[in-house]
Amino acid sequence: MHAQFNLSVDDSVFLPTINLVWLAQRPVPSVKREALSRSREVTCAPAFACPNAKASRYPQTSKCVAAPIPGLGCASSSLRIVEPRVFIGFLVFTEPCSASSKTYLEERSVSLSSSVPDDPRRRAVALMDRNADFEADPPRLPRLPSPADSPSASLAASFRLDEGYSDDTTGSQLDHDKLPHLPGDLVTLPDWILAQTEGDRAELAYNLLRTLRTSALAAVVDRLNPLLHMDPVLKLPPEITSEIFSYLDPRSLLTSSLVSRAWRSRISDPRLWRDLFIREGWRVDIDAIRKYEQEQSEQLSLQSRKSRSRQADPDIGEPKLKKRVPQGWFESRGADSSIHAGEMDTTESGNLPDKEGDHQMSDASNDRKASFASQPPESPTSHSRAAFESARAVVQAGPTAQPFPPKSSIYTRLPGGTVKINWPHLYKQRRRLEENWLKGQFTNFQLPHPAHPEEAHQECVYTIQFSGKWLVSGSRDKTVRVWDLETQRLLYRPLLGHLKSVLCLQFDPSPSEDVIISGSSDKNVIVWQFSTGQKIHEISSAHSDSVLNLRFDKRYLVTCSKDRLIKVWNRRELTATDKDYPSIHQGSGVTYPSYIIDTTELPSPVLEAELARGHIKSLEPYSLLFTMDGHGAAVNAIQLNEDEIVSASGDRLIKVWNIRNGACLKTIIGHEKGIACIQFDSRRVISGSNDDTVRIFDHACGAEVACLHGHENLVRTVQAGFGDPPGAEETMRLEALAVDSSFWRAKRAGEIVDQAPTSMRRSGYVQNTAGSREPKDIRAIGANIPPGGGGSAWGRIVSGSYDETIIIWKKDREGRWVVSHRLYQEDAAAIASGEQAPIRPGTMHHPGPQQTEIPIPPPQGQGPQQPTPDPNVNVNHADAATGAGNATARPQQGNAWAQGMVRTNTLLPRGRLHAPNFRSAPAGHGPAARLRAPQHYARYMNHRMNNGQEEPPRFRVYKLQFDSRKIISASQDPRIVGWDFACGDREIIEACQFFQGL
Amino acid sequence: MSSGTPSSTITLTSSDGVDVTVERQVAERSVLIKNMLEDLGDSGEAIPVPNVNEAVLKKVIEWCTHHKLDPPSAGDDDDSRRKTTDIDEWDQKFMQVDQEMLFEIILAANYLDIKALLDVGCKTVANMIKGKSPEEIRKTFNIQNDFTPEEEDQIRRENEWAEDR
Repeated sequence: MHAQFNLSVDDSVFLPTINLVWLAQRPVPSVKREALSRSREVTCAPAFACPNAKASRYPQTSKCVAAPIPGLGCASSSLRIVEPRVFIGFLVFTEPCSASSKTYLEERSVSLSSSVPDDPRRRAVALMDRNADFEADPPRLPRLPSPADSPSASLAASFRLDEGYSDDTTGSQLDHDKLPHLPGDLVTLPDWILAQTEGDRAELAYNLLRTLRTSALAAVVDRLNPLLHMDPVLKLPPEITSEIFSYLDPRSLLTSSLVSRAWRSRISDPRLWRDLFIREGWRVDIDAIRKYEQEQSEQLSLQSRKSRSRQADPDIGEPKLKKRVPQGWFESRGADSSIHAGEMDTTESGNLPDKEGDHQMSDASNDRKASFASQPPESPTSHSRAAFESARAVVQAGPTAQPFPPKSSIYTRLPGGTVKINWPHLYKQRRRLEENWLKGQFTNFQLPHPAHPEEAHQECVYTIQFSGKWLVSGSRDKTVRVWDLETQRLLYRPLLGHLKSVLCLQFDPSPSEDVIISGSSDKNVIVWQFSTGQKIHEISSAHSDSVLNLRFDKRYLVTCSKDRLIKVWNRRELTATDKDYPSIHQGSGVTYPSYIIDTTELPSPVLEAELARGHIKSLEPYSLLFTMDGHGAAVNAIQLNEDEIVSASGDRLIKVWNIRNGACLKTIIGHEKGIACIQFDSRRVISGSNDDTVRIFDHACGAEVACLHGHENLVRTVQAGFGDPPGAEETMRLEALAVDSSFWRAKRAGEIVDQAPTSMRRSGYVQNTAGSREPKDIRAIGANIPPGGGGSAWGRIVSGSYDETIIIWKKDREGRWVVSHRLYQEDAAAIASGEQAPIRPGTMHHPGPQQTEIPIPPPQGQGPQQPTPDPNVNVNHADAATGAGNATARPQQGNAWAQGMVRTNTLLPRGRLHAPNFRSAPAGHGPAARLRAPQHYARYMNHRMNNGQEEPPRFRVYKLQFDSRKIISASQDPRIVGWDFACGDREIIEACQFFQGL
Repeated sequence: MSSGTPSSTITLTSSDGVDVTVERQVAERSVLIKNMLEDLGDSGEAIPVPNVNEAVLKKVIEWCTHHKLDPPSAGDDDDSRRKTTDIDEWDQKFMQVDQEMLFEIILAANYLDIKALLDVGCKTVANMIKGKSPEEIRKTFNIQNDFTPEEEDQIRRENEWAEDR
């Protein structure tokens, strides 16, 4: 005897059940129905012919009748009569179905279409043949436990298992069932059923189901459920699924990529990730990407030509070492990668010659050649081709310690051989890079190379700018220096020409421009040829006092000075008919030299005639076009964007000017003290001031949309990246409107919202001015951009101050600017130069550059050109803690452009600082001073107090610049220092060549 | 263009051979049909819609009828538009159909070139995916997991970078 009737859900899978579905052709006569409902003895399980009987004739489903069938070995059976013409019966076998049982059933033409349960574990669904005549010999079904008595769970379970109207056998549910799938447990439906129309079949099925008790029904529904669900990836073509996926965020996409292989392959669609990338507000150098794709395609086709000649069918008998095209970002097992690594290590050789000549395109162009030239995807790697291969293999030589295989995933190769950039990969690397910014993970480097301290500026560095691999700096030592960021070396000797401090400069290394322009406290402006360092022009006494800042574009040079003036100069020869020739603004504040003519006063034929006669001379390059006089104090900073100049002055004002005629377009008021630095785009103006704040103004209306408190001294330099995604204009306008209307709502509701900050404070509320959208925090309405200035979630502001720190600001989830990290200029300098990190308060000393412990530089030219990053490069916080504990930073050479002296650094996680009031979580126990938490700042300054006497500051930050990967800053210290957030990660570095800032 | 045309109704023939008469203005939500009518003129003959069966066609017409007065979709893909998966209430209700129907509607919208309906359909599916675990997604769409546990692990590791920031 097998399982008795006391089955639990768990063993129900073994329930030996036969489901009999008796289909009657004729309706059950009412008499008999009555009898059925009364009697325990089913005397007839009749078959009546009435295919079209309406359900309404049998409004009630007949009661359940059940009886043991004598001699059948059935402990239980049940029978239901279904409305129009269907009976359902269950025979529950308690022992293996005997031969006599079979016979009995067969005699009654019960078709046991599936296997008769010889094994009690097997189940069968039997349909009674329509020809069966039960009237003649009705089964006698004495009463046994009816379904109502039997454990419903078992029935439910049996139904779930036994029901078999579909060939769905792959539903995930089966995974939960221990029952092995039996192909035989499906019913073969009689042809006459299949011949019915769909509607009729549905009706039949419905009626059949209606005979079930709810629990059983629920189980059927459960089983049917998967049939109602279908895979969109299989059902829909790629262009549509790609449309669907385009509505998903990266996280959902990655989760979805775990669903199945088909999903994964659809989700690795490059277009999808390119759009995502762009929508994040991140920028890429599209030209660099195109160029790269083209170069790689050409290289590969060259290779495949070579390989074809060697091996007819590269796909057959592929060698074990074959490098496969990275198909998206999947695959690659550890074993495979270690083989690669080994192979590569042995084939290392020199760098490939730089054919591209695109240094300025990339921050890591060395690395790029290094990493990509290789990859002979599809081409069988045969060792006999060592010469060819090894040259390319170089690049492959990668860190074996990394979890990633040492092959580049940065591109994929299409079947046609075309190389396309791998957008999912690019997205991922950008995201990882941003993660490093957020976590404060970076390596430090410095200029000069620690091995060449003699190349350093002699005094403090007032100005820097970098572009691609070049950085140009100007110093109090009167020189301009041009650095190669990859080698950390000077490109050529320092440029001499200024008589005093070089205060400002800008350069453009592109071949069409090839220029550096510098301004100095000697009042002069010098134009240099970038590539040679030749002085090509000098504007003597450009101003009557120090030239504090200058900016240029292809058309104009704009300078500003301590003499309170702003001057605009032409960069190309200009004739009066030239569109860039200034027009005359009839108003105060701008003066034009006498040689500037008012072209609007002369009819153009006259003008042309005058020109032809030479009465009106064309303007030589770097002629003064006009002077703007509007500020009441030194003009500390200017910026130039299209046809607008924005200036910031010690008079606390920001002014916007028209570059065509010098007219002052607007004045922005906000800062409480003089303004030191400024930046703007078409939407906002960002400034740093002696009032220690950074402020953001709506460019259009001048409203102050954020004020960032964090520095403790003059904010000397600031750069902001808002990362406006496409469509940002509209988004921001709507956000701004929403903020305004919530403000008005609050006001109407009687909240105190429109008071001055001071009265707010008096009433006990400290406004958040850093981008909060709370009505109470709103200080200006009617702006076109929301509080904080809008932009993507990745937006970033970096500010440098006389408090000797740099603050990286980020937005919190509510869009308020908060201090993400505070970087210490001094620490970076110390770390980058290989000194120990500065010490605890009181014991601090400062070894000058000459005392700098000089690490052994990597041999120039030769040697480990290839990044063989220290496994410790990717520090996590734990590492950082221990690393900091033993205070000696470890050098690593992973970074192509900062090789030699780089230090890995990680800021300890720390509480967020909500400007303006510092509220930070308990700081990690910063084991070393270089990991100072922000609130250590006070101590940091305090330790400067020597016997009550303050030491002079030594690391005031004068100028910084950041891009997607790094911050570089110049300070009172002669060393220029950098924070590289690629943090030595090969893949990030490789991808960085295509990234642009926010 | 939709108003003022002489014949106010046209007939579409579904893939299963059923003729459906529909207001011309409604039918012209479909760029395909609109272009067809413009190019070929309205001959009064039924237009075959070979890829769409009757049930789906009726559903699509129901949508087009409700949206017949909508302004024409604003040109090509604008990335900013993509961000939201919000669906208006009526459309949400409209899309409460079984998955087969949902996918059929999407395919029909694609074929008939009814951008707004395609968008609604895609958003609906996207919303079915959003915020679910892989297992839940598999369940939602009755998908067999064909990754080995090792593969799954590997992918999970590769995806770690996208953890919440």
